[in-house]
Amino acid sequence: MLEVRDLMVFYENALAVNDLSLEVRQGEVVGVFGSNSAGKTTLLNTVAGLTLHLQQRERRKGGMRITLGGAIRLDGEEIGGLSPRARVERGVVLCRERHPVFRDNTVEENLTLGAYLRPSGELKRGLESVYELFPPLVALRKRKAGMLSGGEKEMVAIGTALMARPRLLLMDEPLLGLSPLMQAEVVRGARAIARRGVTILISEQYARPILPIIDRGYVIENGALVVSGTGAELLDNPEVKSAYFGV
Amino acid sequence: MGGLLASTLVYGLVNSVVLLLTSLGFSLTFGLSGVANFAHGGLYLLSGFLCWLLMHRVGLPFPLAAAATVLLVGLLGAAIYRTVLMSVRGIVLSEVISTFAVGVAIVEFFRWKGFTTYDFTLPALVDGSVDILGVTVDWQRLLIVALGLALTGLLWLFTHRTMVGLALRGMSQDEYTALSVGIESDWAATLSLGLGSALAAVAGIALLPLGIISINIGYDVLLIALAVTVLGGLESTTGLILGSLIVGFAMVITGNYVGPRWSEVVYLAAIVIVLAVKPSGLLGKSKELEDRV
Ligand SMILES: Nc1ncnc2c1ncn2[C@@H]1O[C@H](COP(=O)(O)OP(=O)(O)O)[C@@H](O)[C@H]1O
Ligand SMILES: [Mg+2]
Repeated sequence: MLEVRDLMVFYENALAVNDLSLEVRQGEVVGVFGSNSAGKTTLLNTVAGLTLHLQQRERRKGGMRITLGGAIRLDGEEIGGLSPRARVERGVVLCRERHPVFRDNTVEENLTLGAYLRPSGELKRGLESVYELFPPLVALRKRKAGMLSGGEKEMVAIGTALMARPRLLLMDEPLLGLSPLMQAEVVRGARAIARRGVTILISEQYARPILPIIDRGYVIENGALVVSGTGAELLDNPEVKSAYFGV
Repeated sequence: MGGLLASTLVYGLVNSVVLLLTSLGFSLTFGLSGVANFAHGGLYLLSGFLCWLLMHRVGLPFPLAAAATVLLVGLLGAAIYRTVLMSVRGIVLSEVISTFAVGVAIVEFFRWKGFTTYDFTLPALVDGSVDILGVTVDWQRLLIVALGLALTGLLWLFTHRTMVGLALRGMSQDEYTALSVGIESDWAATLSLGLGSALAAVAGIALLPLGIISINIGYDVLLIALAVTVLGGLESTTGLILGSLIVGFAMVITGNYVGPRWSEVVYLAAIVIVLAVKPSGLLGKSKELEDRV
């Protein structure tokens, strides 16, 4: 479904993603693991089109130089030159890192905005299915999203992304800073989303909590690929194991 | 009744809503796109002259001329974003300088073309007056009060209850999250500038009939909008109303008890004091540091 070939992202002269290739097949849950600054966010933002947007913005006003290279293909179609909106329309939806929500809006307004590009007739069904996935959100519907805990915000953020009806959901460190209980809740949610037929590319610093739900994983360092394989294969690699599986 | 107190009360309220209406477009654009549109006063003045020209040179009846003016000035606002703002987006000083340049160009164009006589007036929508607490208030002012309050309410509904409004507010709160659900930032900013400018036109057409259209109104209106929004905290409806009430009453009180010449000093003083004491405004929260992409 998604094929990333020789992806390069330079910020000014710093290399954030270095000649990275990876593939996500229909129906898979694929992990991207790497320490802080490894390039996970840059990778996902580039697939979603945010890096291209930033590049165009900076170019207009003659600010920071961003250089992009390589190919991003969705079902064989090159999408690397498309706007974020055009990618959402094709089913590529990003749930950004640090549990982003529209702070001044209620939970339900946040979810509603997720369906911005969807026909309005779908709204009710969409909301119901998000509440079904994350029942705690029902009681929080009328609350301002800015007031929620990190875990609740993450549920809202994932729910908002789901409202856009992704075929490929990009999740950037959804577990970051959450309590073990909340982490389990979010992992359960991701598994349920995958069961609904959504393909998932998920990034994390530590692989352990999401190991049970991933089919394959890629480990990156300094923007470049280190190893890839199934969960079991990654666990077999002693260096990878101690660095990303917290042994 | 009908004493100084009653007159202060009635005209304080009327003046507050006049200021509210004057600032609505500026505040909307700023709240939704972060652009301080310093062409606001110029657009307000332009609306007055444009409506006058459409009536007296083209021969349109007033309602048609007014509607056309609102539409054209709205489109001009959108065009300002597309031409001068798009390339400097996010550089606040450049945004201010380029929009101010447009505003000055409009105002000085009319001065140069000799629009400085006393011929330029717009018709009042309604004639006559009524007594409130023994104070005589003309119907046009009451209509303005109704219009100002209704528009404020409608805008609140638009930004809180419609998908487009929610999208615009979403973009203003968190650009990258808005982008990731498919909202486009240039579209949002174009619409914000267009709506704010159209509101400047509505204000101009409603308020200018209260007197003659004089060139320097272009600058006064900008200063008023700045004072009210700076005081109220630049992004909330409640703040805008509060700012209007404070400046509105302060002007009338100063005018009634100190002297009419001093009432204009009030909004300038308001800007200086607020910026010195609480730059985020009375109700404004200081913005958190934006997350990196
Ligand atoms: N907007 C940006 N401007 C400049 N450098 C950036 C920007 N975003 C990320 N980087 C740099 O790119 C590298 C990768 O960062 P990031 O993709 O955020 O990694 P991760 O998500 O794995 O922590 C880092 O060195 C970071 O400093
Ligand atoms: Mg990251």
